[in-house]
Amino acid sequence: MVRSMRRLVGASGIAALALALAGCGLTVPSDPDGTLETVSGGVLAVGVTPNPPFTETDDADDEEPSGTEVTLVESFAASIDAELSWTVGSEEDLVRQLEEGDLDLVIGGITEQTPWAAHAAPTRAYAQALQPDGSTTGVVMLTPMGENAFLAALEQHLDEAAP
Amino acid sequence: MKRIGRTELPPAQEQALRKARLVEWLSLGYAAIAITLVGLVMGGSQAMRTAWIEDMLSTVPQLAFLIALAVIRRPPSQKHPYGYHRAMGIGHLVAGVALFAVGATLAFDAISGLASLEHPSIGTVRLFGTTIWLGWLMVGTMLLISAPPVILGIVKMRLAKQLHSKLLHADADMMRADWTTHAGSIVGVLGVGLGIWWLDGAAALFISAGIIWDGVKNTRASVLDLMDMRATTVDQSEPDPLIVRIEDTLRRLPWVRDAASRVRDEGHVFHVEAYVVPLRRKVKVEDVDRAVAQVTALDWRVQDVTIAVMGRLPSPEAERRDDDRSDDGAAAPE
Repeated sequence: MVRSMRRLVGASGIAALALALAGCGLTVPSDPDGTLETVSGGVLAVGVTPNPPFTETDDADDEEPSGTEVTLVESFAASIDAELSWTVGSEEDLVRQLEEGDLDLVIGGITEQTPWAAHAAPTRAYAQALQPDGSTTGVVMLTPMGENAFLAALEQHLDEAAP
Repeated sequence: MKRIGRTELPPAQEQALRKARLVEWLSLGYAAIAITLVGLVMGGSQAMRTAWIEDMLSTVPQLAFLIALAVIRRPPSQKHPYGYHRAMGIGHLVAGVALFAVGATLAFDAISGLASLEHPSIGTVRLFGTTIWLGWLMVGTMLLISAPPVILGIVKMRLAKQLHSKLLHADADMMRADWTTHAGSIVGVLGVGLGIWWLDGAAALFISAGIIWDGVKNTRASVLDLMDMRATTVDQSEPDPLIVRIEDTLRRLPWVRDAASRVRDEGHVFHVEAYVVPLRRKVKVEDVDRAVAQVTALDWRVQDVTIAVMGRLPSPEAERRDDDRSDDGAAAPE
């Protein structure tokens, strides 16, 4: 019992320290790397892999991507007053850039069963989609690991905007 | 429920055993609810995952107790002359090793997560048309499930002392400290919420350290018993006072010059091997039988008593007896 009391003191000490560190700008959840704060009113860097009908990209470099997910991302960007910057590439390439902090979001008809879940934080499934093998799976977007305020803001937008 | 092995249980112990069985079933019911709830809200928090596995592990001693209880009640047979009491010790050992192994795995996970700077992700859920942060649900769940184990633990601790059950004692000890796991995971989740990503891994490490410690304690306690350490009180902190009472009872017999004993703990009952040196060279068989009956009557835990009549006491017992004498400050005869 004495040990557990000591543990309690330790635990509450950590909690107090946590509160102190968070200081005045206390928001829950928040981003360790401040993604939501940086992109709000700034630039939202989105990686996109062509996967119609979710995402379509033209060969011409200056062409903006299109598709259902692109529309959703555009409305999300508008809701936080962000400019969009698109990067087209393979999923692996884009996820690596997401991990390195060069991208804020990766889209391309990615499903809940994505093997990238260990490298990125998928959103909740915002819609169900028919897969080539005939099954139905939820589709998600990938955000950087641990940027929870950004993830929460995106999920909230998807809840409200998704069909 | 009336007997354990050879012994008929006194009414108080019989009732305690019945209660212990009920409380263990209640604990399992609680664990099923807790595991389901935590599983539903777990998300990407390592602290929550660790607490979840801890909740699962906490059922191991309870299952071991209930299974062993069915086994130890069998009376001794020709094939198993000492009875089945060791089933409790084996269950205890298995529980201890399992706790240690899983605790170590979880600690490794927590450390490697921290070392690779893995930021835990906790998103939102859609509940009743609003989007709320899953972390709040985690904190709520942990608060909700943190009280029952403490109460169950306190009840079990009392029963463990009444029943002299080390396994139940260890289980009660773990449950009483269970709230630290829940508090730890709350700290981890709130840390993530505040953007202090490492607090989640730190909380997971803290929880797994608790599991490892439980494993070490349980393994140690069960090994000591299985190695036939002299009988101790239920928390293994001191030799059981019953040993001194057995020797005093024997020494007070008019035909006995000196006596010593070996008492081993079979998990919750004692097997007693006593040695007596008689005053005269001739000893009546009835006297020895009566002595056995007297020692058996001392305590319900005394199961099996053998008395050997000898010319002089075997050495470790005689030495220990001298130690006891000097501890007691009583003058040794001779």
